[in-house]
Amino acid sequence: MQDDYGSIWAYRLKWAYLMLIVTALMSPVFYVMYISFNEFGFGANRYVFTLEWYGVIFSDKLMMNALGWTLSLAVGTTLIAVPMAILAAKFYKATRYKVATVFLLLSPLFVASDIMGSALLVYFKHLNNGFEGLSDMLGNQWFYGWFELGFLTALIGLIIYTLPYSFIVILITMGRYRPQQTEAARACGATGWRAFWDIEFPQIRAGVFSACAFTVILCFNEYTRTSLLKGGFDTFTTVLVSQMLNEGMSEQSYAMSSFVSFIAIAVIGGIILYTLVRSDALSREARAKAEPVMAQ
Amino acid sequence: MDAKRPAAVEVSNLAKHYGPVVALKNVDLTIEAGEYFVLLGPSGGGKTTLLRTIGGFHKPTAGKVILHGQDVSGLPPDKRPTSMVFQSYALFPHMTVAQNVGYGLTLTRQPREEIRLRTEAMLDMVGLTGYGERRPHELSGGQQQRVQLARSLVLDRDILLLDEPLAALDAKLRKDMCLELKHLQEKVGITFVHVTHNQEEAMTIADRIALIADGELVEEGTARDIYEAPQKRFTADFVGENNLLSGKAASVTEDGVDVDLGSGTIRVDRRGLQVAQGDDVWVSIRSELLQLGAGEGGRSLPATYRETVYLGLTTSHLVSLGNGVELSVRVVSSADAAPVAPGTAVEVSWAPGAARLHVS
Repeated sequence: MQDDYGSIWAYRLKWAYLMLIVTALMSPVFYVMYISFNEFGFGANRYVFTLEWYGVIFSDKLMMNALGWTLSLAVGTTLIAVPMAILAAKFYKATRYKVATVFLLLSPLFVASDIMGSALLVYFKHLNNGFEGLSDMLGNQWFYGWFELGFLTALIGLIIYTLPYSFIVILITMGRYRPQQTEAARACGATGWRAFWDIEFPQIRAGVFSACAFTVILCFNEYTRTSLLKGGFDTFTTVLVSQMLNEGMSEQSYAMSSFVSFIAIAVIGGIILYTLVRSDALSREARAKAEPVMAQ
Repeated sequence: MDAKRPAAVEVSNLAKHYGPVVALKNVDLTIEAGEYFVLLGPSGGGKTTLLRTIGGFHKPTAGKVILHGQDVSGLPPDKRPTSMVFQSYALFPHMTVAQNVGYGLTLTRQPREEIRLRTEAMLDMVGLTGYGERRPHELSGGQQQRVQLARSLVLDRDILLLDEPLAALDAKLRKDMCLELKHLQEKVGITFVHVTHNQEEAMTIADRIALIADGELVEEGTARDIYEAPQKRFTADFVGENNLLSGKAASVTEDGVDVDLGSGTIRVDRRGLQVAQGDDVWVSIRSELLQLGAGEGGRSLPATYRETVYLGLTTSHLVSLGNGVELSVRVVSSADAAPVAPGTAVEVSWAPGAARLHVS
């Protein structure tokens, strides 16, 4: 507690409120996890703990195929969207037109996902027709199928979706970075790239890794855009949702959902834990070194 | 100075515009190799822009930057024979002091042992032996600035640019660091170009000073020239504690000019300046060259005593002339005479040659 004159009960109340919010948000996830360990699945009168469903999720070909597609999309999106977000954040720091830049970069967030997804669907259909028309004009088939619904179109949709989030996460860590350090590196003989890689990147690394983790999670989370732009319900979320709507969720589905949640929590928790441990180690190191050199 | 040796820095007709804002206006400047050169001027005057343009951080709108006879106007900072010390320390926080100092050497792929030895030698030179394993945030402001110096000097570049390097330090440390910088420059023998708005700092360290204001080079010369014999009105106003009086040339002869100040007429040396009767002119008199008491005709003015300001080493007596213009008369406190009551009629006077005429 920072405020010496603050009430201890107000302080405890704030913590209780925080815990309540977290519990409310996470309860459904914990409930799914709870069910995933029940031998008799959802709605059964008996609860017998088992890991059986986790054992069989990898034998569900439909689910594994969906997981593969989503992982591919997540990796592709991360590899493209995060570097784009870094460039955008660097541009933001350099430009005088900050409000306009932020508005343009965040504008995809202001459009409802259904509308954005269907707009992209129509756009890609027309683009594909245009490219095919171009091929017809040229008398070949070079441009056929470039923008048919599939991996590429879903990838573009996910990049548009995740880029603003990555941008914000990276911008926050970049906010503490002083551009004079880049200039100092240049004055030491570093090229622009070396100055970025040696000096700036290590200082924004936490933000970049967080943006990567966030992007992967968003890709797993996304339903509307992927279902509209991927062509066919064969990604992780679309398979889960369609299974649930058509047949109800199977025990494997609960296990798979829990498995993905465990991974997400482990990744985020790992980042937080690493940050805490590292910051604690740095403080201890700083305290140890704070002894005057003469005294050593 | 060796006639065959090209100047370390030659700036020719240099201009820098930011849209409609003109930061530098056709500046010409030459800095000899091995000089400690100071760019002095008020904030926003263009001195940092000039320094950064020399360093390659700004591309000139017009003109050339020539370093050791080579036109480097189009080269980025890492391709120039310069290194730079920044006002804001700009140390790399994720690196230790030794890594900071050795960073430039790692870029040139020097052997690790060579980097270690040169880094240690440089830390020793700036008085930071034993601090190599610390992080920048564990150092004081003065120590951080020394690390910056070491990081720049270890590169063995010919020209060191210093952008207000002492501005963030407290007054005592700034004074100490001033002398250290001067001694360091004499030791390494390379050209230092130092930007500051602090005239005391400039006087302490400079071999030569250039006064920059409104994007223009106002005047350059040795510290003594700039302080004791300012050519321009702006220099007289900015450097030292000068009393600046405006008036009209009442009569002009070969040697002197009678200046009508409104509250009296005084006689000043013409100094070969182009001036005609009726021209607007200015007269500057340093406050320490004024005294309270009667003087010879043409070298004194009647005034009213206003107040005393004790400044420790010196004491300033403020008086006002008949037209309301205020003058400061500065004396060494230990030699100060008995106090004068405010409102008392006094006379201020000065020695021959103390008043300087300015036409621009």
